[in-house]
This record gives sequence, structure tokens and C-alpha cells, in this order.
Amino acid sequence: MESTQFKTQLKKQIVEFLNLLSVNPEDIKDDEPLFGEGLGLDSIDSIELIVLLNREYGIVIEDPKEGRKILVDINTMADYIEKNRTK
Amino acid sequence: MFYIHQSSCISPQQTFHDVDLNKLHEPADRKLLAIEPRYDGIPPGILRRMGKAVRMGVGAAMPLLQNNPTSDGIIVATVNGGKEDCVKFMNQIIDYNEGLLTPINFVQSTPNAVAAQIGLLTKNHGYNITHSQLGLAFEYAMIDAGMMINENPLSSFLLGAVDDISLFNYNIEEKSGCHKMETISNKNLYTTNSPGHIAGEAASMFLVNGNETGAIVKVQAVETLHTTDESIMKEKLFGFIKKYLPAGEKMDVLLTGENGDNRLLKYYSCCESLMDNDVTIARFKHMCGEYPTATSMGLWLCCDILQKQTIPEHMIKKAAVKTGYKNVLIYNNYNSIQHSFILVSIT
Amino acid sequence: MNRIVVTGLGVISAIGNSVAENRVSLMEGKCGISRLEMFPSKFSDVLPVGEIKISNEALKEKLKAPEPGITRTTLLALHAINEALADSGLSNADMSSSGTALVGASTVGGMCLTDEMYMDSQKDTPGSEYLASYDFATTCMYLQNYFSIGGPVNTINTACSSSANAIMYGARLIRSGRARRAIVGGFDSLAKFTINGFNALHILSTEHCTPFDEDRKGLNLGEGAAFLVLEKEEDVRDKKIYASLSGYSNANDAFHASSLSDNGDGPFRAMKDALASAKLNPSQIDFVNAHGTGTENNDKVESIAMLRLFEKVPAFTSTKANTGHTLGAAGAIEAVYCILNLAEQELYTGLHFTNPIATTKLVPFQLYKKTPLTHIMSNSFGFGGNCSSLIFSKA
Repeated sequence: MESTQFKTQLKKQIVEFLNLLSVNPEDIKDDEPLFGEGLGLDSIDSIELIVLLNREYGIVIEDPKEGRKILVDINTMADYIEKNRTK
Repeated sequence: MFYIHQSSCISPQQTFHDVDLNKLHEPADRKLLAIEPRYDGIPPGILRRMGKAVRMGVGAAMPLLQNNPTSDGIIVATVNGGKEDCVKFMNQIIDYNEGLLTPINFVQSTPNAVAAQIGLLTKNHGYNITHSQLGLAFEYAMIDAGMMINENPLSSFLLGAVDDISLFNYNIEEKSGCHKMETISNKNLYTTNSPGHIAGEAASMFLVNGNETGAIVKVQAVETLHTTDESIMKEKLFGFIKKYLPAGEKMDVLLTGENGDNRLLKYYSCCESLMDNDVTIARFKHMCGEYPTATSMGLWLCCDILQKQTIPEHMIKKAAVKTGYKNVLIYNNYNSIQHSFILVSIT
Repeated sequence: MNRIVVTGLGVISAIGNSVAENRVSLMEGKCGISRLEMFPSKFSDVLPVGEIKISNEALKEKLKAPEPGITRTTLLALHAINEALADSGLSNADMSSSGTALVGASTVGGMCLTDEMYMDSQKDTPGSEYLASYDFATTCMYLQNYFSIGGPVNTINTACSSSANAIMYGARLIRSGRARRAIVGGFDSLAKFTINGFNALHILSTEHCTPFDEDRKGLNLGEGAAFLVLEKEEDVRDKKIYASLSGYSNANDAFHASSLSDNGDGPFRAMKDALASAKLNPSQIDFVNAHGTGTENNDKVESIAMLRLFEKVPAFTSTKANTGHTLGAAGAIEAVYCILNLAEQELYTGLHFTNPIATTKLVPFQLYKKTPLTHIMSNSFGFGGNCSSLIFSKA
């Protein structure tokens, strides 16, 4: 899958998984911060996203603190998934 | 006890915006489901995580708190609040065999999520509590508010209750024989002569304090009782009326929680037998169905009746030739054993 | 003002089946954390728990409670309330009087039967014997019927601060004249539901929990029940008085659904207002039984709140290192421990502490000693920002 296409799919998955009611997946910028400013996600969301990475891509992250280094923005997430996915 | 200054209700009837109680909304799929508003007051980033009970409770509370940001605390009664998330989390445990699970359903699965979310959204650092004692949960919340205001006469509180129908409680209640087996219109609820009720849901919220000026009604007294013996109930209710009905006044309206379950009729008949001939008898469970904290909807209706001095035709069981409603008694029975008496008067 | 006093105690936890057994374990610094044995879970070997090593069958036999549908949570509650009522010498007539209130607290309730509850919540399965048992209020309904309790019977659920609020509500029922006496407490049993829930939040430790330690790794779940009999001092006559409940407060952190604010506004306000309600200065508190779950967030924030409130932080420990975090029962179990501190004029050995948290540098109390104690504070904080503090004073 092409990189932009993959990122579009990832954005849809995030919006659906976190039930981000008012967010249109296409409006999320690739370099927009997921936490704090930007999408405004919190610590529970970071755990939810670790579960998403596991269920969709077979990636296992044991330490939520490690997770936050990956879950910076769509670019870092997509990059990590492409390198580490097992499914 | 305390005065009610504002009230708000999300229910299966038109109670939230442009209140219209004359048109009776009917059950769908044997359930009386709430008419939910758009929840414009709740930020989408927070709404996304709310289960139905939390959403309804917060939705009903927001209009009251937006006008009164100085409330001293939040007192909520809920029995089923959080159970929707509870079953979602259980499903995860089973489906993923205790594997990697998302925590949000767990965090939202406790009944205190309603009061906590209201506190969080309104940045209220005061008293925050959740009562869960089945059919008396709202009564103990009212008693809590009464005690709080008595302890600190200048304080004001958000007091309310919410219960929702989730697949979890619906299926368990269904198997316990709580619901009517037959599909009926709520217009015929009281003539079925069969066991069971129609499942319902609603959120009712009140702004209460000790200040008579500008109040809609005064909640004079609340008492609770555990017994299955109707003669004990009758004796206690007689004593309650004698003790709390203001001297020289009489009861104008009896509002009962009759719910169409013929197993409970003896308690309601007993209660009605204590009323004089000129007391109007009204019912409300055909409007909201049965749920543990339903007396909160009764109290909301009571505010409406006393304010407008009129009772919708479909609520009336026995009309008395009377004008000027002043004192209303709410009697409710939950599952035979839990009884409550609430006396509400116009100010 | 007439004091509210404690005339009866009952407790069952991972460190003992009675008040006396719990006291000996506390004196000896016993840790009740062990391998989960009473029900199967994928985490049995990984996540240690504070489990009571008596099976449901043995509890039913011992308590003569053979009714179908009775849950472990209710059995533990019945065990503890029996002890408290006997201790206070309450008669059947006392129990059925309209002046006797019961205020309980639970966050697990019948959910200890996670698998049965899952099956019963599905549409097309036959109902089990537990249909009426899952609710949090089931235990109090059972106890109401068992003892024919005549006054108010309520259940409070404010997550992990539930039973502190039950104690408060009972005291206020007495103060307001709605009850002459109140039997107050909390009860929760271990459940697949809570083990998976706290695990999903990544706050369960795979080792023994180490409250207030720099390298703490999370909490251990526990189970138990405890009850206190509260009465007005003027009603007590010649009964033994363990301590008085001299202050209490409930406040909300209003910060996040599952973690406390950096400054500990909720914990600070709960402690401060409890002091005000007891008409005490911070310096008059001799000991704090901290909430101290052993999680990164709680212990840091609770330390910060204590540093904000106390000029010199008094001796403190978390007995969750002994019992595990018993959730809805924690406030009541820890209230019993505070009352023992006062009644016996002793502080118990703190467990599993090595290094203080670097930013707060607070060191919990370490070794058992006899010492004069007048006022003790007990903290309970829960999800949803629900923070409560109680103050008990020497009889």
C-alpha cells in the first residue's frame, strides 16, 4: 500500500477506534500532534491506541511510556507500523 | 428539607425542550426509550466516551449548572449507570480471552461516572457522591441533599438521578421476569392485569437549596421503608402524612409509581385507601417505564404539576373536583420490598 | 456536640479473618499478597493479589448461608458484619428498630462472577441462579433481610473511596436524627473484571506493591470487608468505645476520569475540609493512613497534597502493602486499622519501602512502636476524582 493511502486508512482507524465524534479523518494532518494541542488526546487514548496497534497490526508495546514516543503524530505512527507490523 | 429552584428532564416523553406532556409517546420494541437531545453543551471530545446513562445525566444537568456555576456539590442516584460499559468490557474480556484490552469501558463502568463527569465538566471540586440502593437510591440522594443543606443552610446542590436501558440490564431483568411478556401500548399499561412492567429510562436533575425565594416547590419530607407487608406500609404512611403534612392543610394529589405489575397492586391500593375522596390520584410510569430511580421523574412531574396547576389527562386515575393543587404525596414501591414516601408542596 | 463513637468492629482481609488476626498481622508486618487461587484467570501466575484463602463453599458453611445466588462479596460482608455486631452487643431488637441504619459500599458487587454475569447478560441463554445478585446493592439487600434492619439501608458507590463515604453518610444520618446508630462499611471481592480492568490501565504490579517508593510499579488488587458500628456517645452507656469519628470530608478533584491532578487539588481539599470539620489544625494529626495504592500517579500526588497541607508531614503508611487494594472495602478496612492504632496506641510496621520519591522525599513510617496517638487521618481516593478523608480521635 502506498504511504499516503496507508496514512488515510490509519486516520480512519484512529477516528473510529477512539470514537472521535467531530473529527473528519481527512482533516487530520500528518504532522499534527496527537496529544495535548492538535487532536487533544489523553493518557487513556494512548493506551487505547496501543491496543489498536496490537489488534490491527500485531505490534506489542509493553510500556505505555514507550508508546508515547511512537504516538507523536500520524507520520511517526505510520513509520513505526511499517517497520514493525507482524500482520 | 429543601427547595427546588430549577429542574430538567430527559425522558421518553417531550420533557427536555418545549415541554409537552399532553402527547404520549409510546414504547418501541417493548421499551420506553428516552428522546435524547443533541447534547450541544457537551464538548465532542468528552461526549465520545460517554455511555448512554452518563450522556443523559450530564445532558440533563448541564442547563442547570450553566446558570449556576457556584453549586456546592453533585448528588446523583443511579443503579444502572455504567452497566452499558460494564458489559462492553466483559465482552472484551471474553472475546480477547483476558488479552490486551482497551481501558475506557472499565473506567466508565462504575456508577459514579455520571456525577464524576458532571463534576469534571463544570470544574466542581465540592461534595460529589453516587447512591446506588436500587429502588431507594434517589430517595437516599434526596435525604443526602436535605442533610447537606441542613448542615450548611447557604449551600446549594445539583441533585438528580439517571438510569438507562442497556442490553445488559434489559436481558438480566427479562430473565428475572421483571418485564411484561406481552407487547402493549403504554396507554393500556394499567389495565393489563399481568405480572411485569415496561422497561424505561430517564434522567432528572434538580437545583436545590434552602432558600424559599424564587423556588418552584418545597420537598417537605422523604422517608423510606423495607417491608413486604402492606399493613406495615400503610401504618408507616399514615404516620408520615400525620407528621409532615402542614397543620390545617390537606393532601391534594397522590402521585403513585403504579407500574402495571399486578404483583405490586396491593401496595398501591393500600396507599390509595388512606386518601380522602377529594384527593386526585395520578400515575406516571406509563410515561417513563419502570427503572430503579423512577421517583426522580415523579418529582420532576410534581414540579411541573404544581407550577402549571394542571395534570395531563392520561396521568389521572381518579379525578377529584378541585382547583389549586398545593400538597402532593409521591408513593413508590420497588420490587415489593422498597417503599418511599415523598411530600412535595408549592411554595 | 454529641460525639459519634465507634462501638463495634469487624474485618476480614488477606491478613486475617477477624479484628484480632488483622492486628497481629499488622504488628508482625505480614504481607497478605499471594498467588490468585480462588478462580481461574490468565493472570494467576503474573499478577499477585491480596486474596482471602477461604473458598466460597467454606464461607457458606461457616456462615450458615446456603441460599442460592449468594456471592463471595456478600459472604465476606456477612463475615465482617457478624463480628462487628457481636462486638457492639447489638440485639435482634436493636437491629430491627427503625433507628438502625445500614450503609454499605461496593464497587465490584456481584461482578465477582464475571463469567456468569457475561452469560446472563446475553440474550438467548438460560438465566443462572445469580440473576438478582450482580447489582452493587445486592449485598445490603441481603443483609437488610438477614438482620431485618428497620432503618435506612443504602449503598454508596464512589469507586475506591466508596466506603469512606458510607462511613460519612452513616455518621450524618445519626447527626441529623434520622438514625440512632449506623452500621457502616464496605465489601469487595477479587474479580476477573477488576483484574482485567486495572491491568488494561497498566497500573497493576507484577511484584509486591511498594507504596511511596521511588521505583513503585503499580498496585496489587485485594479483597475483603469491614464494618464499624457508629453510635452517639450519649447512647453508649457502659459499652467499650474504640474511638470517635471526629471529622470527614468529600471533595472532587475534577481533573480526569482515572488519574489525579498534578497538584492534588481533590486530595488536598478532602484532607483540609476534614480537618475543618473536626475543628483541628494540621499539626494535631499524629498519623495518616494514606490511600497509597503504589501507582505512579496516586503516591506522587498524595505526597504533594500532604506536603501542601502539613508544615511537617506526620507519620504515614499505606496498609495496601499488607492487604492489597480492596477497592470499595478499602476505606472501611483502613478505618478499622486507624481505630486499632488509636485504641492500642501503636503504629504498625510499614512494608516494602526502599527509596523515597525523588521529588517529594517523603519516607513512610517503618517499624512497629507503641506511641501516644490522639488524632488519625484516613485517605481514600477514587476514579472520577472522588476524594474523601476521615479523622478518627482517641476515645
